[in-house]
Amino acid sequence: MSAMELHWLLYAAAFGLIVIGIIGVVTLSNIFRIVLALVIAEAGANLLLVIAGYRFDAIAPILSGSSVATGVMVDPVPQAMVLTSIVIGVGIQALALALVIKVYQHYKTLDLREIHQRLMNDIDQESGVRPLLSPHKPAGKRPLPEPQTVTGYHDIARGGNE
Amino acid sequence: MNNIAFNIALPLLAAFLLPVIHNGSAKASRLVGPFVLLAMCWFAAAYFIFIEHPVALALGGFLPPLGISFHLDQLSLLMAVIIPLMLLLLWPYTNREGFREEALLLLLAGASSGMALSGDLFNIYVFYELLSVASFGLAASTHNGAAFAATFRYLVISGLGTVLALTGIGLIYTQTGTLNLAHIGQLAAQLDNNVGLAAFALIVLGIGVKAEIFPVNGWVPEVYATAKPRISALLAGLISKLAVLAIVRLLVVAYADTDALSLLLVLGILGIIWGELSAWRAKDLKRMFAFSSIGQLGMVLVAFSIPGEAGMFAGLAMMLHHLLVKPALFMLTENWSGSISSLTGAARQSPLGAALFILFALSLIGVPPFPGFWAKLIMVTGLVGADDSLYLLALGILLTATVIEANYLIRCAIQLYAPADENSSQSAKHGRLTLSISSALGVVLIISLFSITPLGNKLYQIAAEASNRSLYINTTLSNAQVPALRKIQ
Repeated sequence: MSAMELHWLLYAAAFGLIVIGIIGVVTLSNIFRIVLALVIAEAGANLLLVIAGYRFDAIAPILSGSSVATGVMVDPVPQAMVLTSIVIGVGIQALALALVIKVYQHYKTLDLREIHQRLMNDIDQESGVRPLLSPHKPAGKRPLPEPQTVTGYHDIARGGNE
Repeated sequence: MNNIAFNIALPLLAAFLLPVIHNGSAKASRLVGPFVLLAMCWFAAAYFIFIEHPVALALGGFLPPLGISFHLDQLSLLMAVIIPLMLLLLWPYTNREGFREEALLLLLAGASSGMALSGDLFNIYVFYELLSVASFGLAASTHNGAAFAATFRYLVISGLGTVLALTGIGLIYTQTGTLNLAHIGQLAAQLDNNVGLAAFALIVLGIGVKAEIFPVNGWVPEVYATAKPRISALLAGLISKLAVLAIVRLLVVAYADTDALSLLLVLGILGIIWGELSAWRAKDLKRMFAFSSIGQLGMVLVAFSIPGEAGMFAGLAMMLHHLLVKPALFMLTENWSGSISSLTGAARQSPLGAALFILFALSLIGVPPFPGFWAKLIMVTGLVGADDSLYLLALGILLTATVIEANYLIRCAIQLYAPADENSSQSAKHGRLTLSISSALGVVLIISLFSITPLGNKLYQIAAEASNRSLYINTTLSNAQVPALRKIQ
């Protein structure tokens, strides 16, 4: 594999991970999975940073004692940055999981749409504003029972004509 | 006089030592925070008063562009003074529950000072993340289900923003090979392409989560409705401005003459439209102010997108005005959390609160003698001077938004002074602490009303310095100073 091909492959992988993560965060409804999607997206961003400093066929940028650099070295700055951003990422993810637990304890569900609905209801209730939708289930049976007298479309149409 | 690093080190140290001190003596731990904040004020104010020209500090001893540098000019030092002052004002003096909130606030103070002072893109990102973590903790500190759920959504949006910002930083690094803002500025020609613009857009969307920029501000109404008024005041007033400032620094240094300005302009216009219309529809004060702050930050963004000094001047004026007014308004929601219709006759129960509400609302709308009017006037002049059809569109939207703002704020004011009926809630009285915080901000507003000319001159000077790109680059790359402590070694 040539240097160019490898480079494009790595970039494609990084952006692919970011896109997968973002799609996951936007479309998933289970909040634990959302956290995982966020982890994937972050891995993509970190990979992108590492590639930014990558040189094909280069050696690790380590100089010891009085040795002088021989040949091409990879750029060490992005590696230091990635280390930082991984650590930050882990911290944020731990915080996210702690919040997932807290949310589950209070709302007994992991479904984001339901949580959001109940959050909105809570806010509306606290501020004394009537919510747009009733929090109660509709009275009576659901789905509605079939109408009994109707036999078919043509019968009604004919009946109407008569 | 190289102690500006204490503005970051001291609060961080205090934040992590606070649990230990609290174990020893709870009383002592309550004194630590205010003392640290006062010290921060002192250090930053000393620099702010005596500084003659911008200074770059190479903290690690390595000169930029290799080492990490702090950029001290009047703008960053002004923010470094405002941060501890604002925190002192909104400090939980009556909190007897423990040290958690105080530790988080100190963390916030350190991180936001770092963000204001840093001259390195990655450093800004690290401080931004630290600030995020502190603000998540503060937003969740109400400890009920709604607050946790709102904070979780905040965290997810913010986390997504982090990924975008990091991608943007990575792209800038691939194009220029540096992260020092001044060095990026020197190599700005390499960023004037699609990849460079995409990087800027990603960073705007990423850091813009805190700045309540249009597509990434879904968390705003929920968090501000569930958090304590004090925390909402801090997030809307202070933190959003720091995020805006980080974006503006990058804009001035590297993207001043590119399409990035139109991007900010369009995002700002969308923010104004969305924020003001939602605020107009809102039925309770907290969410009304939350949406109105989205609209106001849209205006700030539009102001900063005007090219040249005029834009920086207008942006700073709008930004500082909002920084002063919105925290006070959020504080006033403390016992006015019900729907607006339940506030009928609240002025009778809390006359001072209602009077302050009128004062701040008038300034926010931009009624002539108040500072808000001058800020908007500067912005209108800048928009007209920009001489471009898109800016004229923005001008039209700004004026329409002002009318909408006037409508919903005056509607509330009328409600407050209406004769009480059966709808009115029983306890619309404000606590003494709330009132004194709002009054303090009100006094500042009135003082600035009477000294508008010297303030305007000073602000113009700050703006001229901050929008001077070659000055920024030369300060860091040619004249960076190594702190005295490092020289001795």
